[in-house]
Amino acid sequence: MPARALLRTLLLVVLAGYTAFAAGPFVWVAMMSLRTTTEITADPYALPWPMHWGKYADAWFGSNYQTYFWNSTVVTVSAVALLSLLGAMAAYCLARYRFPGNRLIFFVIFSTIILPPQITIIGVFELLVEYGLYNTHLGLILVYVALQMPLTVYILESFFARMPQDLFDAARMDGYSDFEIFWRIALPIGLPAVATTVILNLIYIWNEFLFAVVLLTDDAKRTLPLGIQRFMGDHLDDNGMLATGLMIAVIPIILAYVFFSEKMIQGMTAGAIK
Amino acid sequence: MAVVRLEHITKRFAGAAAPAVDDVSLIVEDGEFMVLLGPSGCGKSTTLRMIAGLEPISAGELWIDDRPMNRVPAKDRDIAMVFQSYALYPHMNVQDNLAFGLKRRGVPREEVQRRVQAAARMLGLADLLERKPHALSGGQRQRVALGRAIVRDPKVFLFDEPLSNLDAALRVRTRGELIQQHQRLGATMIYVTHDQVEAMTMGSRICVMNRGRVVQVGRPLEVYREPADTFVAAFIGSPPANLIAAEVAVADGAVAVRVAGRELVLPRHRSADLDRLGGRRVLVGIRPEDLKVTSPAAGANGAGLAARLVAVEPLGAETILVLAPDGLHEEILARVGPEVALRPGERVTLEPNLAAVHLFDPASTRALPRSGPQA
Repeated sequence: MPARALLRTLLLVVLAGYTAFAAGPFVWVAMMSLRTTTEITADPYALPWPMHWGKYADAWFGSNYQTYFWNSTVVTVSAVALLSLLGAMAAYCLARYRFPGNRLIFFVIFSTIILPPQITIIGVFELLVEYGLYNTHLGLILVYVALQMPLTVYILESFFARMPQDLFDAARMDGYSDFEIFWRIALPIGLPAVATTVILNLIYIWNEFLFAVVLLTDDAKRTLPLGIQRFMGDHLDDNGMLATGLMIAVIPIILAYVFFSEKMIQGMTAGAIK
Repeated sequence: MAVVRLEHITKRFAGAAAPAVDDVSLIVEDGEFMVLLGPSGCGKSTTLRMIAGLEPISAGELWIDDRPMNRVPAKDRDIAMVFQSYALYPHMNVQDNLAFGLKRRGVPREEVQRRVQAAARMLGLADLLERKPHALSGGQRQRVALGRAIVRDPKVFLFDEPLSNLDAALRVRTRGELIQQHQRLGATMIYVTHDQVEAMTMGSRICVMNRGRVVQVGRPLEVYREPADTFVAAFIGSPPANLIAAEVAVADGAVAVRVAGRELVLPRHRSADLDRLGGRRVLVGIRPEDLKVTSPAAGANGAGLAARLVAVEPLGAETILVLAPDGLHEEILARVGPEVALRPGERVTLEPNLAAVHLFDPASTRALPRSGPQA
């Protein structure tokens, strides 16, 4: 066997191993989502046959999933929309305007990224109670916006900073105001980078558990990750329904990724090639 | 009517030791094609950006048609600019790029459409209106950028090195197109370039800049034939003018320059004002085409400099000879015809056209006054 073919085979084996390692748990959960807990306990790795599609309907209607799903959608979409708009404005300002303290502000915003979120949780809790935002979706949305703002600004700032100055000068000569230039030139051109932040924020906020469990107490206000937790009892886990719940939770993220992935890759590789 | 007047314009950037633009005064007449020419960093683009209103003016006054412009925002100056990178909006198609500035100015939709169509026809873009900039060639993008300026119908057009991103062949063609557009529109145009060929071929007048200052303003051939200083002599012309250290010698009413021990007597009409300079050190500027290269025997009449041929560079239509004259440290360049029988190492005689030489003061680098008709 020539060395080239051997190398290729070796590479394929490594890649196949990595794929199995990365995708294996997901496939396992997907299979479990179509099996009952009794079947899973009898043989955890068996194929899902017969397939219990009805479990999805049971989880959706019987376990209050439609409420959790709606709550997650409201919180995530609102937070991501706010993050994208405010983050883009802040990043644009820091990237394109020279003013005293510009780099200091950028450094302060970005430096908060190194703090583990758990450190802030007691302070955030006190703050929300103080302002009557505890146990409200608005409070949770504001916390998510604050948590994800540094990463959003960091990604968008570097993108806006790379845009050629001539574009902005041309728009100024065409008679457009600073805000119009942001809205009609910078933001549309920056869409790939915005898509990158949208997908990253979407995944983080949709799956976020810690702040949601601390800051929401009413069952009617809970988000999906808290709803999934309901299948985990103190003494016995309903693994079958847990898997079904996880699959329902993950489907919107997969759809969002499919929708944004092309733009996201453009954003990540922007400037890499001419 | 659009006369652009710069009066003692200065631009200082924060933290910079020297001003980027230093006391520049210039009048660009109505309908004139003025070229700002100079090397990178000489302040020509900054000057253009100050005229456009994209850069605040530190000192001095800018006037357009007798209206002070220093505090008028860019959008209200009735100026259009074509940028080096073209600055086309990448998310808009050609049609929207052309119409973008008009829409902001509240031009009625039908009028926008009419002007866009007219500009597209004029520039050969009619079939490309639906394309995005990334689907256009460099030349097409350049035409869209020009079209975006034309549809605005501004008082003044500004160009910031618009051809520098094009390949050599396309640059020549687009240069011709720009000249035609200027003739067709008859508008005042100010064009920045570091390419002397562009300046010579396009400009009604050239304003040569160096280190933030205006060195010389004049018609292209005037600047070429009468360089104001050694910078202009060396910057304009390819290859540049040779600058040789010499001394003025006056004897029997004749003025000569002594170069490497040889006295080259200047024609009487070129030396009228120079007889008072006897004994003074000067720099002699000789254009490569003003040097005749002959065999040592042919140049034996004493009017030339003996030299060794260092290199022969055939360019097709002409040949550049690199020569090392006896007694001089610097090499000099001569431009001769396409057919050259000489080989490197051969001895030759250089006969300068003394009616066309320029004398410069080595201290100030300015040209020494001269009189009489041109060669």
